[in-house]
Amino acid sequence: MSAASDVRPSGATGEIERYTFRERVMHWFTGITYLYCLATGLAFYSPHLYWLASVLGGGATSRFWHPILGVVFLMGTLWMNNFWHRDMEMTETDRRWLDRVEHYMANRDDLLPSQERFNAGQKLFYWLMLYGALLLLLTGFFLWVPEYIPRQAAWVRPLAVLLHEIAALATIGGFIIHIYMGVFFVPGSMTAITTGWVSRAWARTHHRLWYLRVTGSPPPQE
Amino acid sequence: MSNGPLQIKAISGHAGPVPGRDASRDYDVCKLVDVTTCIGCKACEVACLEWNGYPFRETVFDNTYQTMPDLAWNYYNLIRFDEHVAEDGTLSWLMRKDQCMHCADPGCLLACPADGAIVQYSNGIVDFQQEHCIGCQYCVTGCPFNIPKFNKETKKVHKCTLCSDRVGAGLEPACIKACPTGCLHFGSKDDMKELAETRVRQLHEHSSHKNAGVYDPAGVGGTHVIYVLHDKDHPERYGGLPKDPQIPLLVRLWKGPLKWLGNIAIAAGIIGVATHYLRFGPKRAEEETKGEPK
Amino acid sequence: MTNGWIDIKNTDMMLIMGGNPAENHPCGFKWAIEAKRQRNAQMIVVDPRFTRTAAVADLFLQIRAGADIAFLGGVIHYALENQRVAKEYLVNYTNAAFLVKDGFKLPEDGLYSGFDAATQTYNKSTWNYEEAGGGKSAADAPPSLPPNVAYDAALEHPRSVYQLLKKHYSRYTPEMVERITGIPKDQFLKAADLFTSIRKDGDTRKAATIIYAVGWTQHTFGSQIIRTAAMLQLLLGNVGRAGGGVNALRGHSNIQGATDIAGVFDILPGYLKVPNPTDQNFAAWMKRITPTSAKPKEWDSWNYWSNTARFAVSLMKSMYGDAARKDNDWAFSYLPKVDREYSWAHIWDEMYQGKVKGLLAFGMNGVAIGPNSQKNIDALKKADWLVVCEIYPDETSSFWQSPGITREQMKNIPTEVYRLPGAGFAEKDGTFVNSARWLQWKWAALPPPGQARLDQEILARIFLNVRELYKKDGGKFPDPILNLSWSYTDPNNPSLSEVARELNGRALADVTDPATQQIIKAGQQLPGFAFLRDDGSTACGNWLWCGSWTEAGALMQRRGTDDPSGLGIYPNWAWSWPMNRRVMYNRASCDENGKPWDPARRQVWWNEAQKRWTGNDVPDFKADSQPKDHMGPFIMNPEGVGRLFVPLGGMADGPFPEHYEPFESPIANPLHPKQSNNPVVKKYKSDLDKFGTPEQGFTVVCTTYRLTEHYHYWTKNNPMNVQLVPEMFVEIPAELANEMGITGGEKVKVTSARGTYLAKAMVTRRIRPMTIDGKKVYQIGIPIHQGYRGIQEDEGKVPRTIANLLSPAVTDPNAYTPEFKGFLVKIEKA
Repeated sequence: MSAASDVRPSGATGEIERYTFRERVMHWFTGITYLYCLATGLAFYSPHLYWLASVLGGGATSRFWHPILGVVFLMGTLWMNNFWHRDMEMTETDRRWLDRVEHYMANRDDLLPSQERFNAGQKLFYWLMLYGALLLLLTGFFLWVPEYIPRQAAWVRPLAVLLHEIAALATIGGFIIHIYMGVFFVPGSMTAITTGWVSRAWARTHHRLWYLRVTGSPPPQE
Repeated sequence: MSNGPLQIKAISGHAGPVPGRDASRDYDVCKLVDVTTCIGCKACEVACLEWNGYPFRETVFDNTYQTMPDLAWNYYNLIRFDEHVAEDGTLSWLMRKDQCMHCADPGCLLACPADGAIVQYSNGIVDFQQEHCIGCQYCVTGCPFNIPKFNKETKKVHKCTLCSDRVGAGLEPACIKACPTGCLHFGSKDDMKELAETRVRQLHEHSSHKNAGVYDPAGVGGTHVIYVLHDKDHPERYGGLPKDPQIPLLVRLWKGPLKWLGNIAIAAGIIGVATHYLRFGPKRAEEETKGEPK
Repeated sequence: MTNGWIDIKNTDMMLIMGGNPAENHPCGFKWAIEAKRQRNAQMIVVDPRFTRTAAVADLFLQIRAGADIAFLGGVIHYALENQRVAKEYLVNYTNAAFLVKDGFKLPEDGLYSGFDAATQTYNKSTWNYEEAGGGKSAADAPPSLPPNVAYDAALEHPRSVYQLLKKHYSRYTPEMVERITGIPKDQFLKAADLFTSIRKDGDTRKAATIIYAVGWTQHTFGSQIIRTAAMLQLLLGNVGRAGGGVNALRGHSNIQGATDIAGVFDILPGYLKVPNPTDQNFAAWMKRITPTSAKPKEWDSWNYWSNTARFAVSLMKSMYGDAARKDNDWAFSYLPKVDREYSWAHIWDEMYQGKVKGLLAFGMNGVAIGPNSQKNIDALKKADWLVVCEIYPDETSSFWQSPGITREQMKNIPTEVYRLPGAGFAEKDGTFVNSARWLQWKWAALPPPGQARLDQEILARIFLNVRELYKKDGGKFPDPILNLSWSYTDPNNPSLSEVARELNGRALADVTDPATQQIIKAGQQLPGFAFLRDDGSTACGNWLWCGSWTEAGALMQRRGTDDPSGLGIYPNWAWSWPMNRRVMYNRASCDENGKPWDPARRQVWWNEAQKRWTGNDVPDFKADSQPKDHMGPFIMNPEGVGRLFVPLGGMADGPFPEHYEPFESPIANPLHPKQSNNPVVKKYKSDLDKFGTPEQGFTVVCTTYRLTEHYHYWTKNNPMNVQLVPEMFVEIPAELANEMGITGGEKVKVTSARGTYLAKAMVTRRIRPMTIDGKKVYQIGIPIHQGYRGIQEDEGKVPRTIANLLSPAVTDPNAYTPEFKGFLVKIEKA
């Protein structure tokens, strides 16, 4: 397996660089734009969350920026994809891992195959967000400038709204798990995405194959 | 603009109770358009334009007496002209005043996400409040009559207000006042309904329009603009008046079951991860082992 | 209107023909709708096009433009054949029973007796009643009506008007109607049956109205179409009754007023006939124009025109004050003696011939009005001067910019043009006289802008300057100018209330009413025309309007909304001539004994206790004439009865209306192909007065009309109206458009023998192809509101052409109205 990333172990601290500066910028760029779209989108989605739009400058402002930042978000994901898509390819190992994902959830990682730089869950999240973003933009286009949709094709609109919401809900599902994993479930993740560095133990625990590769150790025989 | 006696019954995109909704009112207002006595003089169009203070638009000749092909954000009221030849060769020239129908179950209001952008008064008037409009045009999607129109410059949607400002001050809508033949009537829904039914009976008994009827579509809970049509079974002949208008099913889906499913899913997701954390706790990294190569 | 707008609500049946009230009178049309809604009245619309009115009709028939007499004649025939007539009314209130002179000939060949082919006029001596007792008038005396008319109340005498009428219209069979009008026989019969159904089985309660406008008048036989309608209404007993009558819808807000105050050359205010050169003095004039009663001996006739001298003297006193005295023959010499025709088309013809040197044009757009607009444009090129008072630059004042004139040619037009800024209707006070004959005062909404002036100020200043010139320089005959009564508070700008009071008239000496002993003191406003005197003790500008501004105040300003009878009489709203009568000849609303035909619609009735006629309306009758005296209800006719047959000079073209083809017609008259047109029609002989024939390719019948959205040639200057209908069009039957490959919105060129018109095609199914006398005939229609000045015109967005470039300058011989409604054209893609 080839790794496109240029992360490397650091001899000085004993820690390993997990995300380069550019990757972290990419992450937070998409993260923040997604958050904005999420917040404004939720405002339009539910009257109980409409206050989000008010907080973000008012309904009309939110309506104005939501689609624009949606496009920016998609551009971010595409940018990301440019660097990560090979890392994100699903492998046979990933499929085996996924088959036993309940062990992962139950913190019985010892029953799971070792993972490369990204585990199958992360990859799934990645693809969910990428395709989700594409679908959101596609359907969002019809919501953005409906005045240009001819009357004969008016039926497209409610359909687009429906798909937009389904796509959004799907990404929200992934997003909830993403936040949970990053902030609560896997300590160290947050540091990784903010500073870029993880401890050797962290790397070895969660991404053994990657750890072995970047530290130059021979891959284990299963 | 005074909305004095007007009371709000429903508010778009609004969380929580509607202020004053339970204050009871005696009647719903209603506009009756007796299409069988409309002469297409367009006095209502002009009155509407003048009352709302909109500028004149440039129009182009389009092989019809109709002023323009469709309503516009600054043209709330349009008489649609249609020639119809019956099977026996009898020609009719149908003229229907097209404007917001003020549905009892308004699709625009249902679809609108913006808090307060669309209100439904207890007297039945559905009114757009442009200061709260976010320009998303979901109302356009929700409307089965193709009424709301978007102003591309201001990014606001507009439509007939049923002269809520005039009605609020105890006056009839401007179109009603201008109508020279008395084809337009305004009053309580009950009265208008009765007037319409009386006229229909008269048409059955004293004219060749044996299939005349009242257009007050149940699919949108009835409307506060009702028509007397020569032929109730063919409303589509009158410039495409929908036969059985409904709020689009998808809109109902996304504003109804799907919304709740989504809400539940989001809530379940959050609860799920929280429970998971409580049950399993964080995923710890292995202890740092000494022999590890650095 | 014999009746009034509101009265239409009382009708059971409407025949709307030669008019499109929904389009052109939408406000008044509410009463037609009201009749439908409140009385289940039926509405029959007969028109060359399926109009906005047709859209709400119960029955619509498409007629060929100009075939109206054939249709109405056919209905008369149907009514007579099926006994759908009001027999009692017919015998007692019309001249049906009168006998006509031996020697009178019906026009089987298209000509009545007495036609002189050389002069194209009729010697009308045989168009007269037979004198009872065989009395003979002197051979050299001018023909006059016999004072004692022979009659046959059984209506059986072969020379009775009734039998002649029956014979005359027996030729108007449903088959003939179909050949001429293009209305299929079964449809015609349906309409005839429906309209006359109000007299089914001897019913006398119901009433039918006939409503028309310029679709009837603007033909070379326009007056006769209206007469046919009047005859039909007399046959059915509908005249004088609520919900009945013959009702002309006036196309402009004050056309009725213009006519009342003598907008036509051959009358003076109040429909007094103008003097002609044979009238050597006032008495001779009065003798000629004052009718004497002509009736069966046993009957009575009020003959109200016998008061003509009172009206005329009072008019002279009003115009010339002290300068009109008995000893100077009431200043009779001041009046112009009209020697021949000076009608609208005539003026333009004479200007085109170079005889008329200048024109003052106020409140009208002569070039656009036409007919034959190019002739009017070319006529103005020959005039020395032109003064136009308008609120917009119009086609007339811009005639030198009309299409086709090059810059070089423009320099060679010598006409000096003055534009005077007039005031718009909302900037003036004064009265409108509406179709219902109401004098209705309105108040100015705002002052005229800028340098714009009120009409009366402009006219007064012109007059005072002209008078000054006469004073200074003298002239051939300065007296009428110098002695004109001009005693207004501000001579430069007379207030219209002063003028209105002057028109009402006042007593110059104490006047006593012999019946009531009521005294009107010198200087007081007269309460009504019964007080007018022929001894110079009263002055009145228009006898018909006498009573409109009395000592009781300005009755024309009243706004009372009480209507005690519920018949829509509104006696205290404004003031209706004559003497606030809302329905004219309302005596005819009662049977012989003075009881209303319909007790539910009581207008007036004989009150036996008071020995007077009383009622909800003002009786249009001699108030104390007992029913047994058998006085005729049509008090303005010397016969006292309605005229089915018009004797002597009443009509120029025949005592009974006969169908003649429009001057340009796709067919020869099926009734008499050798005398296809009206034989006494006036046509002009200039090089621009050309006529087209089907053989020359002019095969399409064209008619012109107005739209709701526009007002004549004004509103093309108003963005609101322009928005509603941005450009004019030609309505073309879909079948014709198909044949020619024309699609809606495509530009087409319409050509007549006189000119061309460019506009976009409106392809419609509302005009259908017709079969006329076996020939397939297409009709097209052109709304008139385009010109070469206006918002769209000035921006070059529409073709700068006028519809009346197409229309011919041929006129009706009675009313001198041009033929705007039916002429031949060809049409092609432009």
